[in-house]
Amino acid sequence: MIQVQNVSKQYRNTDNEIALDNISISFNEGFIHGIIGISGAGKSTLIRLINRLETYDSGDIQVFEYTNLRRLNKESTRMLRKRIGMIFQSDHLLARKTVIENILLPITFHRKPTPEDYDYAESLLKEVGLTEYSNRYPSQLSGGQRQRVGIARALINKPELILCDEPTSALDVITTGQILQLIKNLAKKHHLNVIIVTHDMHVIKEICDTVTVMEKGHIVESGTLDDILFKAKHPQTRIFIREIGLDLSNIIQSHDPNQLLLLKFDESVVEQSIIAKMINELHIDTSIVYANVTPNKKGIMVLQVPSQQESVIHFLRDHKVVVEHVI
Amino acid sequence: MLFDLEISVYLKALWETAYMTIASTVFVFLLGLIWGALLYATDQDGLWEHPQLHKIISILTSALRSIPFLILIVLLIPFTRILVGTILGPTAALPALIVGATPFYARIVEIALHETGSDLKETGLSFGATKLQVLLRIIIPESLPALIRGITVTAIAIAGYTSIAGAIGAGGLGNLAYLYGYARNRIFVTIASTVLIALFILFLQIIGDLFVRKTTPK
Ligand SMILES: Nc1ncnc2c1ncn2[C@@H]1O[C@H](COP(=O)(O)OP(=O)(O)OP(=O)(O)O)[C@@H](O)[C@H]1O
Ligand SMILES: [Mg+2]
Repeated sequence: MIQVQNVSKQYRNTDNEIALDNISISFNEGFIHGIIGISGAGKSTLIRLINRLETYDSGDIQVFEYTNLRRLNKESTRMLRKRIGMIFQSDHLLARKTVIENILLPITFHRKPTPEDYDYAESLLKEVGLTEYSNRYPSQLSGGQRQRVGIARALINKPELILCDEPTSALDVITTGQILQLIKNLAKKHHLNVIIVTHDMHVIKEICDTVTVMEKGHIVESGTLDDILFKAKHPQTRIFIREIGLDLSNIIQSHDPNQLLLLKFDESVVEQSIIAKMINELHIDTSIVYANVTPNKKGIMVLQVPSQQESVIHFLRDHKVVVEHVI
Repeated sequence: MLFDLEISVYLKALWETAYMTIASTVFVFLLGLIWGALLYATDQDGLWEHPQLHKIISILTSALRSIPFLILIVLLIPFTRILVGTILGPTAALPALIVGATPFYARIVEIALHETGSDLKETGLSFGATKLQVLLRIIIPESLPALIRGITVTAIAIAGYTSIAGAIGAGGLGNLAYLYGYARNRIFVTIASTVLIALFILFLQIIGDLFVRKTTPK
């Protein structure tokens, strides 16, 4: 869906610090992608390249069927943007327009809203849980409610892709959870691809399928959520993971990694107490080094198995457990 | 005589002041909006960044603002004579009032549009709006309360300028205060004119506040 190849970007009015340094990454269809990094890492710059709010100096970006985004003409740029919804950190609603007018705003740039558009806007309002609020003004809503309006507005043009730049940074923990859940549900229902920028690992673990970690204009690590959570190598990534109390690497480091196996399993497996069963059947010596439940409700466990690793792996795989070596 | 002069003389002067103020404010609003929009749009972070053009307009704005009003009137005499046909009377004061106040208002417009534009420019663009749509349909309408507050301040400043213009032949309350009050040493006329000007300014403020309230959602 999106291919970023060797893209570099430097803001002209600043002294030589490069915002993106030879970045390559692709975002595939059907997922919620997370981009995490500390302030100034270049996250916003990267997603703003995707809807061409910024241009780049070298490399190539392809979005949908548009290749070489840098050379896109004005009209194609508008058409591209129409297919991409954007959600901002603060809601960016128009204070002098009502909720329903705000939601319809993106349509008005292309044509006059029809009665069907109004109906659709009302239905989106219902989906974000604000049915009663269509004639209120933004100043009469709470921050979380305003963000919901922003989400409805981003969906009005029936986009294929939603870009979110720190959509929950201004919200409290509980509201953040609700908004993320809403984004997740809407993404599923409307078949949306989502790219979400954040500096909060909780956001990532809550809804993302893939994770890209950025630092100082570079991508330092990228992969599926599980890959990043349990096989992260880069120190920056590990700092983020520690934030949500899931840093395996410390545990792994204090053992001989060759003896460690990483197990992943579903809830159904949890109930069968297979570890006990395995110890009984194989008569092996093993200890559980780490166990936790991952954000997507999977069990995760690190076993120390000094001997007979092959038969352990065999046994576990027979019981629908995914087994990997930690290194 | 209660007011030292015929009441109709005060009314005529008040009318002239009101006419000069309101007529030039209308022009200043339109011209200042365009000028200020140009200042904003060509600036860094504006919609059509153009540093050189911005610099030229900006210097011109500051230069015009720095000319003392009395000198501006004198400088504009030839121009006024061609445009209005005379350099006396309230209408003849309009060119100087407009030229004097437009750069002032343009700066207010520039600041107001920057303020709104910093958030909403990207919002508009990201939804596929053209730059012109962003300016005309988002930034200016959203800035309306600030623009009205600005034009109120400007109108009050213009009301002040009219008394300078009045002193050199434009009529109005300033003329009355100066010509009758000061030159003929009739202090009551000066005081009465001043009170009328103050009331007029209060009136402008009230009207301005009313419009601000009307354009700001509760
Ligand atoms: N409009 C701009 N003009 C000049 N430099 C900029 C601009 N926007 C960003 N930068 C610079 O580019 C670099 C990357 O910024 P960017 O906004 O992409 O970071 P970020 O990861 O989104 O940070 P944050 O978490 O603070 O939003 C920073 O060094 C920043 O100073
Ligand atoms: Mg950012």
